[in-house]
Amino acid sequence: MLVAGVDVGSTQTKAVVMDGEPKVVGRSLIETGARLTEAAQEAFSLAVVDAGAEERDVASVVGTGYGRYRVEFGETQVTEISCHARGAVFLFPNTTSVLDVGGQDTKAIRVGGDGQVLDFCMNDKCSAGTGRFLGAASQALELPLGDLGPLALTAKNPVKMTTTCTVFAESEILGWLALGRKMEDVLLGVHVAIASRSVSLLRRVGIEPEITFTGGVSRNAAMVKLLEELTDCPINVSEESHYCGAIGASLYALDRALTRAAAGASGGVLP
Amino acid sequence: MAEQKVAERKRPGDGAAPHSELIGATRAESRGLIETWWQEMSEADAEGRPVANVFVMGSIAEILRCFDLPMSFPEITSLQTAVRGKQMEMLVAAEDYGYSPDICGYVKVDVGLHLTGRNHPSGKLPRPALVVSPNTCNTYIKWSEIWERMYGCPVFVLDLPGWRGTGGSVLPGSEEFERDRRYVEGQLRELIALCERITGKTLDLDRLREVMGEVNALAGLYDEVVAENKHHPAPFDAMLDGLNYMGIANAYRGDSRGTAFMRLARDELRERVRLGMGAIPDEKYRLLLIGTACYSHFRRFLELFHSWGGVFAHSEYMSFAGGGIDRGIRYELERPIESMAEQILWSAQQSFSGIFFSQDWQARIVREWDIDGICFHGIKSCRTVSTGLPDEREWQMRTNDIPGLFIQSDLVDARLWSDAQMKNRIDAFFEALASRKAAARR
Ligand code: SF4
Repeated sequence: MLVAGVDVGSTQTKAVVMDGEPKVVGRSLIETGARLTEAAQEAFSLAVVDAGAEERDVASVVGTGYGRYRVEFGETQVTEISCHARGAVFLFPNTTSVLDVGGQDTKAIRVGGDGQVLDFCMNDKCSAGTGRFLGAASQALELPLGDLGPLALTAKNPVKMTTTCTVFAESEILGWLALGRKMEDVLLGVHVAIASRSVSLLRRVGIEPEITFTGGVSRNAAMVKLLEELTDCPINVSEESHYCGAIGASLYALDRALTRAAAGASGGVLP
Repeated sequence: MAEQKVAERKRPGDGAAPHSELIGATRAESRGLIETWWQEMSEADAEGRPVANVFVMGSIAEILRCFDLPMSFPEITSLQTAVRGKQMEMLVAAEDYGYSPDICGYVKVDVGLHLTGRNHPSGKLPRPALVVSPNTCNTYIKWSEIWERMYGCPVFVLDLPGWRGTGGSVLPGSEEFERDRRYVEGQLRELIALCERITGKTLDLDRLREVMGEVNALAGLYDEVVAENKHHPAPFDAMLDGLNYMGIANAYRGDSRGTAFMRLARDELRERVRLGMGAIPDEKYRLLLIGTACYSHFRRFLELFHSWGGVFAHSEYMSFAGGGIDRGIRYELERPIESMAEQILWSAQQSFSGIFFSQDWQARIVREWDIDGICFHGIKSCRTVSTGLPDEREWQMRTNDIPGLFIQSDLVDARLWSDAQMKNRIDAFFEALASRKAAARR
């Protein structure tokens, strides 16, 4: 049995195909762009190809992410809060706290043993201190996103950013550079600002080990290191962390497929 | 619609009033009363009769009514402007005039209305001849100064001292309370003198007793109305119907029509309870609202909760916006002014201090109304009701294991509403409530 989860995020769309074990057998990641339905369909198709399967083999699809209602071929939609919680516990079964730093949202979630959301907190409506802030830094410094973390880790003397506002980030970064501060010191300052904001959100739901870090920013090594320092806890990250929402969505899809199978129904949801 | 099924469910010979007459009667009555209220204000304005601008957290309607001064509640008229979708032009008019986007949305909608000819979607907004401004919100006083500048009307600031001690340690009967009570009583006597000057009438103490007697009756009925929502399913939604009850309780405080309305509301609710009729078709979750709704998106705001089977069984708004009617007002009519000073002071002190002890009130409501979760709605332009909400949410979760949702928008400013973000947070909250309930069943 195959199932899928499609996470239509503000920046990127991720899709995962899982088997009944459950194990991830296919995945894809594309830029979301302006056409959400098309992005969802494309990510799903690519993940199915990656799994070496065909769309008709997929028994259930669940959509998540801010564009979840555009996963029109999905059976249902579940918020990314529930999906990240479920996905994090799947990846690290002893998870009690989840931090998801995405493109425009930061979420702190306290979870139960079965991936149940016990409590959650999100950033205010604006994208201050989210992944978008790193995006602004990458633009201001003309560096690829993937280079930010490694470069920040070489810093010795981080600047103290006074803002986590995405709009003001660029002018402050340029201001520090104009004062002659090294690029890596400015970058580490940027990371510290985001990490502190994320940790204060985590505190709102309670910091308890194990903490699992999910979302696109979890691939950033400097963020992981800073979060460990600030929480005084090891932080779980995995190669799959970026796909955590889609993994959670496919677990919800699996629930549905299994319930249906138990009830004697058969066949996939797609023609 | 649930309401259409009522006639079918009527059981012959059960001795109750005909269900079809009671069900829906409260909403119809409240519409009629609000129309009449507008008519009275518009007529007074057209005839050049004095009108008083007053506030929900302390209108002193008891005194003003004795002088036949129609009362305009700018918080209510601003809210209505938003529900009717006309608030943005008013906000922009006020901002163009120079008011900052951060200022209380109610103030700016009202200023916009005054700047653009006082044409409210429901009638002509009167020009105030007097303002009674309690210090229960700082903004009231600054707002009153705007009318003072615009119209040269007198502003009567009612200074209500807060608790001189913590946690209600200074109780009625104590020496400190008695001193403050005398201070408030002195101010009420000054207000009476001012009303006498403006209207040329003399205070009739018998009339005052009559009005205060109506307030006593209103407060008793109001308690009964709120308590009906302890039933499952909740017969009314505290965000939707609660707003109506609160509006009438303010606009008709001390008026027999207001008392009759509250009696009708109670009777309809009892009938609904008897019939097992909930406020929404399929109640799954019972919620407590802290803050207010977002009136620029009122329907949508409700829909986001109702679509999950979430009903607001109680709301803090039904408490703080009632000028003390939920705080057990029982005026002693043989000493009207003294008693009024005592009750106004006591209820204001509880409201002022409510911010420091809100967690206890919330926990009690959760217990008694069998609440599944609390929705904390932070209002961007109102710090008075929004201060400390994230901390309260955290406290309730940690200390009492009460799930809480924190969302933010505004009272009236549509620019501060973000639909996708609201929906995301609300959906996630209900998903968590669902899995919590499922876990409890296992
Ligand atoms: S309580 Fe809030 S909404 Fe009411 S007047 Fe004060 S600031 Fe405005």
